Amino acid sequence: MSARWIVPALAGCILLFLVAPVVSVAVSSFSGGPIFVFPPAHFTLAWYGRIPSEYFSALLVSLEVGIGATGVAVIVGVPAGLALVRGYLPFSRALNSFCLTPLMIPTLVIGVAALQFANVIYDVFKLSLMESVLGLVLAHSAFTVPFVIRAVIAGQAQFDHDIEDAALSLGATPVRTFFTVTLPALAPSIASGAILAFLVSFDDVPVALFLGGGSATTLPVQIFNGTQFDLSPAILALSAIVSGGVLLSIAISGKIFGLDKFLGTGHT
Amino acid sequence: MNEPPPADAKLIPGRWGYLLLPALGVLLLVFVLPMINLGTKSLHLSTGPGREAADYTLQNYLAFFSDSLYWELLGWTSALGALVTVCTLVSALPLSYFLARTQSRLRPILLLLVIAPMLVSVVIRNLGWLPILGDHGFVNWLVLRSGAATEPFRLINNLLGVIIGLVHALLPFMVLTLTAVIQRIAPELEEASVSLGARPLATFFRVVLPLALPGIVAGSLLVFSLSISAYTTPALMGGGRIVVMATYIQQQVSTLLDYAKGATVSMILLVWVSALSIIALRFGKVGREA
Repeated sequence: MSARWIVPALAGCILLFLVAPVVSVAVSSFSGGPIFVFPPAHFTLAWYGRIPSEYFSALLVSLEVGIGATGVAVIVGVPAGLALVRGYLPFSRALNSFCLTPLMIPTLVIGVAALQFANVIYDVFKLSLMESVLGLVLAHSAFTVPFVIRAVIAGQAQFDHDIEDAALSLGATPVRTFFTVTLPALAPSIASGAILAFLVSFDDVPVALFLGGGSATTLPVQIFNGTQFDLSPAILALSAIVSGGVLLSIAISGKIFGLDKFLGTGHT
Repeated sequence: MNEPPPADAKLIPGRWGYLLLPALGVLLLVFVLPMINLGTKSLHLSTGPGREAADYTLQNYLAFFSDSLYWELLGWTSALGALVTVCTLVSALPLSYFLARTQSRLRPILLLLVIAPMLVSVVIRNLGWLPILGDHGFVNWLVLRSGAATEPFRLINNLLGVIIGLVHALLPFMVLTLTAVIQRIAPELEEASVSLGARPLATFFRVVLPLALPGIVAGSLLVFSLSISAYTTPALMGGGRIVVMATYIQQQVSTLLDYAKGATVSMILLVWVSALSIIALRFGKVGREA
């Protein structure tokens, strides 16, 4: 066999390995008969009608936490990203590194720190952040904020300042220039940072395992616990719906905001 | 502050800096204070579930470093990380080389297939391995049918499962890093090597690989540090039998309520990962855009 074919063949096998568990979830969610047996005895849609209600409430909690933590990240992260690039701040390099530091910390450590800090808050203020959506939103903000800051910084690297100058010299006020020129130009970067922040929050297990629970059990934690105790194909059905939804929304946002842009800032 | 603003700061010059304050406030509350609190927790001795002594001491760290059990935990977690990194690198090289060099119109779709698994929740991906790697799963169905073995292989709920899960989870990071680096190596160099008589494999190892080395180092450091800090995949794919630093910390904190020990091991993991991240930053922005 010539080398011409070895590389594509190997590449194909590795791609197959990459998509295997995702395809497997989708296929198994339709499988009738005993769970996790290949080949499936028959195919059925029945599991899609039998998803336990606690999984839907967990999905709702995950969405609330993800939207909350992403909202916080956009509200404080976009101005911060602008400040770090345009502020000509003293110690700007140190401030820059500081704002991105949480991305280097294992999320499990962030979870342990959040849990112990929630205990301190309770001792001092008698405010319980345990098993609450608010607590999870705050804890997740530790990494969602840096994701948005990083995306906004990266987005300004290719920013053409002449378009702002053009708007200003044509008589637009600075505020109007900001909202009609600067912000729309940065929208793809902000969107990709926000999407990434949402996904990381939506996917988190360690922090939600420590701080969540009870009425604030997120979907990944609910599935995590499900796999340890009672595993039903209905969980695979819900997983297939959620994964399909995420992949579809990413594909759509990739189309809207430009896939290259999304990939460029999303995975640096 | 009386200097004229630089040319590219005409839009509301001089006031942008204040916009950093809300983010600094939030990060102080949700990150800095909790981390300081975690650090101080590690300086108290545990006096029972959920309680600590009041006086400061380095006893927890001394205990950690004088007990061979903890050295084993640290060494074992790092060895697993190294093995996962090597497996990831070896699998990523052919795929990255292909993606960097292909002229195919399908390339964007293939790149999307690399990224897609990253977008699917890690618990769901691990769930997806069960019908493939389980005793009655796809792989064992193939093995038993082909007659290569009479007993199913144990591929999950053990060390092998953890390795498969981690390699799968971290492969996209390595592939994206390496693809970006290999793309920047001029194909003419390979053509020159081949036309001078080197065989394709020799060309790959003696021309492409050395030029891709900065990317390989950056990608490997990233994968290694993500691998030693991983919690979910070792917990799920190991079936609760594989103990790494992250699962050990979780056990100390959630089950045994030994906050002091959990905090100590957390700090040690943190220092180890931060050291690697700082080394990785030194290797620069090689693999930064894919």
